[in-house]
Amino acid sequence: MTSVPDNRSANGKVYPSALAALEGIADGSSVLVAGFAGCGIPEKLLCGLAETGVVGLTLICQGAWVLEEGVFGVADLVANGQVKKMVSPLPFHPEHGGPVKELWESGKLELEAVPQGVLAERLRAGGAGIGGVFLPTGVGTRFAEGKEMRSFDGREHVLELALKADLALLRAKAADTLGNLEYQGTGRNWNPIMAMAAAVTVAEVDQVYEPGGIDPEVVITQAIFIDRLVLAA
Amino acid sequence: MPGTPLDPAAMARRAAQELFSGAVVALGPGIPCYLPGELSSTDGVWFLADSGILGIQEMGLDADAVDAGGNTVALLTGGAYTGVVDIAGILRGGHTSLAFLQPSQVAANGDFVHWTTEATEGLFAPGPAVDMAYGASTVVAVMPHQYPSGRSNIVERCGLPVDGIGQVDIIVTDAAVMKTGPDGLELVEIAPGWTTEEIEAITDAPLAVSSGLKEMTFQVPTLGPLNKVYPSAMDALKDVPEGSTINVDGFAGPGGMAHYLMVGLRDLGVKGLQLISNTAGVARVSAFGAPNVIDHSILVENNQVAKATASYPVSPSVSRPSAFEGAFNRGETELEVVPQGTLAERLRCGGAGVAAFYTPTGAGTLLAEGKEARNIGGKDFVLEAGLRADFCIIRGHKADTLGNVVYKGTSRNFNPVMATTARISVVEVDEIVEPGQLGPEEIVTPGLYIDRIVLRPPDFSAYL
Repeated sequence: MTSVPDNRSANGKVYPSALAALEGIADGSSVLVAGFAGCGIPEKLLCGLAETGVVGLTLICQGAWVLEEGVFGVADLVANGQVKKMVSPLPFHPEHGGPVKELWESGKLELEAVPQGVLAERLRAGGAGIGGVFLPTGVGTRFAEGKEMRSFDGREHVLELALKADLALLRAKAADTLGNLEYQGTGRNWNPIMAMAAAVTVAEVDQVYEPGGIDPEVVITQAIFIDRLVLAA
Repeated sequence: MPGTPLDPAAMARRAAQELFSGAVVALGPGIPCYLPGELSSTDGVWFLADSGILGIQEMGLDADAVDAGGNTVALLTGGAYTGVVDIAGILRGGHTSLAFLQPSQVAANGDFVHWTTEATEGLFAPGPAVDMAYGASTVVAVMPHQYPSGRSNIVERCGLPVDGIGQVDIIVTDAAVMKTGPDGLELVEIAPGWTTEEIEAITDAPLAVSSGLKEMTFQVPTLGPLNKVYPSAMDALKDVPEGSTINVDGFAGPGGMAHYLMVGLRDLGVKGLQLISNTAGVARVSAFGAPNVIDHSILVENNQVAKATASYPVSPSVSRPSAFEGAFNRGETELEVVPQGTLAERLRCGGAGVAAFYTPTGAGTLLAEGKEARNIGGKDFVLEAGLRADFCIIRGHKADTLGNVVYKGTSRNFNPVMATTARISVVEVDEIVEPGQLGPEEIVTPGLYIDRIVLRPPDFSAYL
């Protein structure tokens, strides 16, 4: 899934369904999933991903530490057995772990826990064409183990490499048909950075405007980063 | 029979005594989320969470806004939203005064474990805690003194892999307040109904009892916003010392440049300035400019500039050299040429606490000379360092009195990134409004980055 099929219609980047918008996804893909604690989660796209039946996925996301009743989240994809590995700052809550904890404990799911700021910075580097960054966070902890260290101004830093993925699943409040996005509240979270760091990006939105429908000063994710759109409702 | 453990609200109230007006405060998940709700007003502090909220008023019912713990919250009037990478930059870049966390374990030397317990030992759940604890000047752990099983959360040495080394300064528990340090733990306050011996019994580390030991109190401070509005450009810049490094925004044409602040800087006459700027003053000599428009040249001609770090340092025309070019050719100034994207990235890294980065642009050219080259994944990169400044003078369209800024058109250019990298950021705007009048989704530069605001006088002309 490294190129976008040239099947755009008069609807611009708008696809008729989540399944259509996920066309081309293959087993073993790496997938960025936006969302933070139930806010800004691309639920319809996650359902679509379940429907495709692809397996062996690597999910890069905030984690499944908030489990909401009746909301289809990353934990449900994990429960489906579609996920091989999860890279996340808070994979599950220690007191109510859910499927992520169960599959991890039984050795069926690999977890890589990373500090949130390190993950964000690695994705930003991936999206902005930076090869790697020297970060002061995590020095002296297991998060720096096995990594290259270097001192700047007398302080140790860890080399963290850029991270990119095959696909990003995003959630915004509204888009125009060109793919410009605006968000609502803390629904913004990982979306703008993930939009930059994937080969193919799909955004689920409540509303699609004609170009000009979103004030140019409040566009957060620019259309150049967005390949496909799907309506949430 | 020991005293009754305090409830989370009481712990939050004691923890809130560490706040001060103007503080930028990171709140982690758990008990720290109670802090905003315990204050009568939060407009004196920036409570922020890794969810992307800047300015939490209290827990509330806005389904579109959550705190670090995933609780729905109400946004402070004048608050704003941002994304996780910007929050990470705020945290790591040293822009927070205080961080409140709920670790599962803290050691006497300030090491801490965030969420992991023995039950989930192979799992590491750092969340935002690593960044929060790293960047804040003071880190306060707010946590139960013991596990439900009765074992202590306060230990001599962490028994689980840590999320931070020596970073916790103060521990507020449901029974006591302690300070960490190289000499171990010091008990400074105990909760009502508890004795020193009882605290010692539930603490799994040697405890020195402070000579000033007090009973914990739960009065919360009354805090108000700092006054950031200055009457004039000269007032806002009068403490700029000789030899300062100053970010000056502006793209190339007349827009997006802090002309009024620049005139103030010239009138103050401070010497030896090191400017970081896209151009070193070409608006006057380029085709899109005008011979009498105010730009960096007024500082150069006043002999105030010792160095420029810029991507367009010289005039596009040999026959119309810029003032900086003349000074450089006479040996009066130094120059560091940086490609525009590298300049922007160096500033972003300076503001976000990234020491250095590998960029592919410029690799193999003269611009990479003397710098480390490295092949990563088959591609050539060059190592560039983050850039910081003492002051920055930037140009916004509107600001509210808390310092939130919006821009207009391409005048946005270097302004937002420069605001993140200076010790003191000064913004010049066309209009100053009350908090709440700029939409939380449209604010581009959050108020926590802005120290001083100056109104560009309505009759001010950008032309000499």
